[in-house]
Amino acid sequence: MESLNSATFDAIRLLATGDSELWGIIGISFRVSTTAILISIPPSLLLAFMLANGRFPGRRLLISVFSTLLSLPAVVVGLTLYLVLSRQGPLGDLRLLFTQSAMVLGQIALCVPILVAMGHSAFQAADRRAWETARTLGASPLRALLTVMHEVRFGLFAVLLAAYGRIIAEVGASMMLGGNILNYTRNIPTAIALETSKGEFSQGIALGIVLLLLAFGLNGLLHYFQGKGRFAT
Amino acid sequence: MTSFVNIQFSNLSKRYRRRSILDGVDFKLHKGQCTLLCGTNGSGKTTLLRIMAGLEKPDTGTISTGLGEIKWRSYRRALQAKIMYLHQHPYMFDATVRQNIAYALRHGYSAAERDKHIDEALQWADLEPLAGVSATTLSGGESQRVALARAWLRAPAVLLLDEPMANMDQESRLRTHALLRQLKSEGMSIVLTSHDELQFQSLTDRQLRLKDGRISTDSIQTQAENVSAFPIGQTARHHTA
Ligand SMILES: Nc1ncnc2c1ncn2[C@@H]1O[C@H](COP(=O)(O)OP(=O)(O)OP(=O)(O)O)[C@@H](O)[C@H]1O
Ligand SMILES: [Mg+2]
Repeated sequence: MESLNSATFDAIRLLATGDSELWGIIGISFRVSTTAILISIPPSLLLAFMLANGRFPGRRLLISVFSTLLSLPAVVVGLTLYLVLSRQGPLGDLRLLFTQSAMVLGQIALCVPILVAMGHSAFQAADRRAWETARTLGASPLRALLTVMHEVRFGLFAVLLAAYGRIIAEVGASMMLGGNILNYTRNIPTAIALETSKGEFSQGIALGIVLLLLAFGLNGLLHYFQGKGRFAT
Repeated sequence: MTSFVNIQFSNLSKRYRRRSILDGVDFKLHKGQCTLLCGTNGSGKTTLLRIMAGLEKPDTGTISTGLGEIKWRSYRRALQAKIMYLHQHPYMFDATVRQNIAYALRHGYSAAERDKHIDEALQWADLEPLAGVSATTLSGGESQRVALARAWLRAPAVLLLDEPMANMDQESRLRTHALLRQLKSEGMSIVLTSHDELQFQSLTDRQLRLKDGRISTDSIQTQAENVSAFPIGQTARHHTA
């Protein structure tokens, strides 16, 4: 397949020469996903901690709900939010559909279950005495929480990386909620889908390379942290 | 809540599953006294201590101070600043010994003052050589000394210790004993548990025995002669709680 070879060369050329359209798409991807995960982290980790350490009615139910949501298909999230945000939907007046905000909302819906369910497991690995010691030494609940987070930081890093890895490569929700508008809501996965369907492979391959490198990078970090976590205990 | 000590726990009970562990415990915490809580394995010593520390909620019972009865919630909130609980195996944060001790420091000090207080605490517990070591690698006896240094630095009104000398060699025991004596002489009320009644005789003002979920004797002991095994410098306190 001679055209594939030339498309790959083209892809590398696009990446290397700093093609503005290509790098714009990459920027949108990172901006949207980073915003989504930063918004999701505080409430999700707080909930994860409460699920791991609290005793309140409905705790078990919440845990199983979030573990179920872990495997929620992105297109279902996309569809649900689409209906909510569309003109006739309950939040239609906000005019959020086909904006970056809608994409952020979709990605929040996708990464919160990961952060909560996996964060819950990470917090369960913490020694109960960590919290109790922090409190008895006079720490406020917030400071004690931060202390416990520090104690299980390697596990939590793994959770964050898993969540980020999912939302940055997710195509279904971004496509439906963002609308794949160039220079605005077109991110890496939706661009790949579009370019491929048009038969223009070079940009798709270039973006695929970026995702692949990102996956390698995240995995490398993950192994690094897990290795550290093992030695630390 | 100024006179936090002289606090009375009445009719405390606690069950786990359907098993009754504590069943009508009456206990008064006297200011400045050292109380030994003994009893066989599983008699509920740790449970009672954790209730006093606010870490475990009793099923029934009342708590009152000189000002009258207080609710469990307000007890928990008030004791946070006043009571300190040391686990049988003290927990060391994943940080250096110095940082572990610094955690106990109250707020409102300048960086220089903090350093000075931490240095004093390290010296007090004879931990200077270990200051930069990762605390998670310490031995049981060394961790116990870090925990005591935290207590010294924090200076709570009440110090609760769960079997502070279990699994310790003779030298560590003497050392711990001396450190506890210091804390007591500074006015801390101390409650400690042990299944060995003799171990703390020279330190304790009274001994209580937990049996069948109740306190069976509440004997006031005449205080034995103070025989400090280890000379310890550094008696002047640098702050008050
Ligand atoms: N969280 C818990 N869940 C269920 N049972 C518990 C719990 N904590 C304590 N128990 C039970 O309560 C009883 C008393 O425990 P506790 O730890 O207070 O005894 P102890 O006097 O401190 O014993 P030891 O001398 O061995 O330390 C034990 O039989 C224990 O199994
Ligand atoms: Mg015990």
